[in-house]
Amino acid sequence: MNATGPPAPSLRGRPRGLPALALRAALVAVLLAAIVGPLAGLVLWSVAERWHWPAVLPQQVGLKYWARITQGDLLAALTRGVAIASVTTVAALVAAIPVSYGAARARLPLGPVLLMLFLLPQAFPQLPVFASAAVLFYRWNLAGTYAGVVLIHLVGGLVYAVWTMTAVFRAIGEDIEEAAINLGASVTRTFFRISLPLALPGVVASSILVFIYSLDEFTGTLLVGAPYVTTLPVYMYTASLGYELQIASVTALVLMVPGVLLLVLMERFLRAEYLAFFGRL
Amino acid sequence: MDVRVEDLTKRYGQVTALDGVSQAFPSGALTAVVGPSGCGKTTLLRCLAGFVAPDRGRLWMGDRDVTYTQPQSRDAAMVFQSYALWPHMTVFENLAFALRLRKVPRRDIEQRVREALDLVELDRVPGIGERRPRQLSGGQQQRVALARAIVVRPQVLLLDEPLSNLDAKIRHRVRVEIRALQRRTGITAIYVTHDQEEAMSIADMVVVMEGGRVAQAGRPEEVYAQPKSPFVAEFLGSTNVLAAVMDPDGRILPSAAGSLIFRAEDIRLASPQEPAPAGSAWVDGEVVDVLFLGAGYRAYVRVGEEVIMADHRTPMPRGAVRAVIPLEKVFAFSRD
Amino acid sequence: MNAARPAEQLLWWLAAIPATMVIIVGFGFPLVQSLVASFTRDGVLTLANYELVYRLYRQDVVYTVMVAAAGLVLTFGIGIPLSGYLRLHHSQTAEFLLKVPLFVPFVVVGHAMRIFLAPRGTLLVFLHALGLVSQDTTLAISEGWIGLSIALAWKHLALVVLLLMGAFRGVGEEYLEAARGFGAGTFRQIWAVMVPMAAPSIGLAVVLSLTSMLASFSIPLMMTKGSGPQMLMIDLYHRYGQHGDFGTASAIGVVSYLLAAGAAYYYLKGVARQ
Repeated sequence: MNATGPPAPSLRGRPRGLPALALRAALVAVLLAAIVGPLAGLVLWSVAERWHWPAVLPQQVGLKYWARITQGDLLAALTRGVAIASVTTVAALVAAIPVSYGAARARLPLGPVLLMLFLLPQAFPQLPVFASAAVLFYRWNLAGTYAGVVLIHLVGGLVYAVWTMTAVFRAIGEDIEEAAINLGASVTRTFFRISLPLALPGVVASSILVFIYSLDEFTGTLLVGAPYVTTLPVYMYTASLGYELQIASVTALVLMVPGVLLLVLMERFLRAEYLAFFGRL
Repeated sequence: MDVRVEDLTKRYGQVTALDGVSQAFPSGALTAVVGPSGCGKTTLLRCLAGFVAPDRGRLWMGDRDVTYTQPQSRDAAMVFQSYALWPHMTVFENLAFALRLRKVPRRDIEQRVREALDLVELDRVPGIGERRPRQLSGGQQQRVALARAIVVRPQVLLLDEPLSNLDAKIRHRVRVEIRALQRRTGITAIYVTHDQEEAMSIADMVVVMEGGRVAQAGRPEEVYAQPKSPFVAEFLGSTNVLAAVMDPDGRILPSAAGSLIFRAEDIRLASPQEPAPAGSAWVDGEVVDVLFLGAGYRAYVRVGEEVIMADHRTPMPRGAVRAVIPLEKVFAFSRD
Repeated sequence: MNAARPAEQLLWWLAAIPATMVIIVGFGFPLVQSLVASFTRDGVLTLANYELVYRLYRQDVVYTVMVAAAGLVLTFGIGIPLSGYLRLHHSQTAEFLLKVPLFVPFVVVGHAMRIFLAPRGTLLVFLHALGLVSQDTTLAISEGWIGLSIALAWKHLALVVLLLMGAFRGVGEEYLEAARGFGAGTFRQIWAVMVPMAAPSIGLAVVLSLTSMLASFSIPLMMTKGSGPQMLMIDLYHRYGQHGDFGTASAIGVVSYLLAAGAAYYYLKGVARQ
């Protein structure tokens, strides 16, 4: 830094002047308030045993609503959600991998066409399609069953799985596989011995994406599963309908935990492209 | 306008890009800053432009200290190596951009754009103003980049390897045009390049840089004929470097104690029987290969364990030769 | 796949069947069924469902478009300058904060916004604690279109900033330096250079956000009470869930497909023009 002279104006995007620093600080402060504010409200409500306007903090604070996690219906909804998400994740990846590999290696125009087909569910408004699916499932005795909910989760989850796995397989250069085929290995053997092991980080990333998608899925579960098979989002909705704002807030925060964990991990491990899919959760 | 830097220093982590550089750039002259990659010439130019703030030192344009002034307030315009022409704007809009920012009235903008295009000889191209950069050839894009810089009538023109993206043939032609433009407008131009031939051919003054420092500065002929260091001697022209010393008779003897540097065009290949004339350095060797360069021939002569180049207009015979170089063309340095 | 023997190729085609079946059964059939049902009442092909939609819900169509448009304006009105600013003056903290809404599920956003923007909700509590509002104030926006637009923008801003930062970072630094060198400040660098050069990506982000906002269900469900104008998806849910009227519900669905398709059409037109 130059010891002589006054603080320098902005050069090369590095703000050194006071007004520029103030602007950045103000920006971060505003963002902090805007983004953390609503979430802070959730936290406060989750511990508010008694809270009346206009107190800033609840008059009585306690963990009695958090204790509900360990009992009864909230716990049941949570375990159900985790179980469904686990099954959905495994099913989605097993189903997606062959398609993704095919789309990644196929000659044009088959590859892009395949990808477009698997993008469609995200391009259409979800509710009308899921409502129609619910009608079908009811006819097939799938409504209100675990299988039905997993199936409806798969519709959306497959989109994430196929798109990320296709990107993963594309990133594995074809020459690595061609080297094996050249030496006599079949396409299938090459896939299992070479491509799939190399794609493992991508498989992990896809699994996380699908798992969180399934855990957070609301619309389909509401239409197909309720009232017999409920997951945490549906539980939260019911709680908020019944004006149990504290329970709803506790549930909301629990729902956020996997996502927040992922955000922190992601800063270090995941690549930014996978992020873009989260906007559709 | 004079441009001057004093004790300019810039470090990036462990790397020192500029190491206390002090240099004056004369007003109205074209000064070329040359050197190999990493010598600091680009960093120096970007400090001059205002895109980099030095860690230490000062920078003057005229009598204003502009060390930390914003780029747009410096009255210096830059021509980027990649041209950086905004692809979504027409040629006219590219040129008018800066003028609009300065709130120049519309009619004046049109006139000044026309003038600038005329100065770079693009006004003959029909409809040039409405074209987009991607519709232009490399040479035309380069001229638009030039025009964009001069349309603001700066006091100082900064050029960052302006010809490196052009084909060799075009480079020779365009560099002459840049020089003519600079002469016509009388603008102070600072021209960075890694091509020493390009630098010497058009510059009024040459600044040779190495390792973040100025190795030598002066008129091209001066620096070429009287290099002050082995680096400068070797960098300019087609040079031979021998680990050798001369004895009092001018005979070149291999030695680890010194460097003898001389240029390919200064060597005459004579027969080994012929004694070397007075005032010459000489060494015996053998021609191992002769290359045809178009304008002449280049012989590779093995001398001891090393090989030197000798250029001549007519082809040389193979076999044993005596390489003779006038003493004033031999630059002797000691190695320590 | 080109190097596979026919038997192997068959195997791979078979392996692709489960995924395709899921899409067909879980999406394809339902989609077609809803299209057909929208034109069916009492077993007869008719436009009666659409007449009902026109009679009962046409104001809600306008309302839905208005809310989505307001959400879009908020999202991009904030998102573009913000992303541009961050491209030029980096701030890791700001970028991290802006990623947070990505990981908050839509339902949670709905609930959080509901209690945040409620008449005596946490926003007002914080403002009161800062001494900015008096004890008698209430906030009347939580259930109306303003509250909804804010919630939608809050959630979508994260994705939009992510996409825009990617696009803006793809604009070469030399173009911005050249602009800066000629006197352009932050504002002008954003609007005169970055935005035009990233226009295709911005268009895509607009279409993605618009279709998502038009089809939003979870957030309105958590935030609104059921009186007054509603988002179309809420109407659909009530039509189907409470009235059991799948035909009209499907008609609403088809209207929503058309709205989403309209947005996509304009985007494709813009792409084709290039």
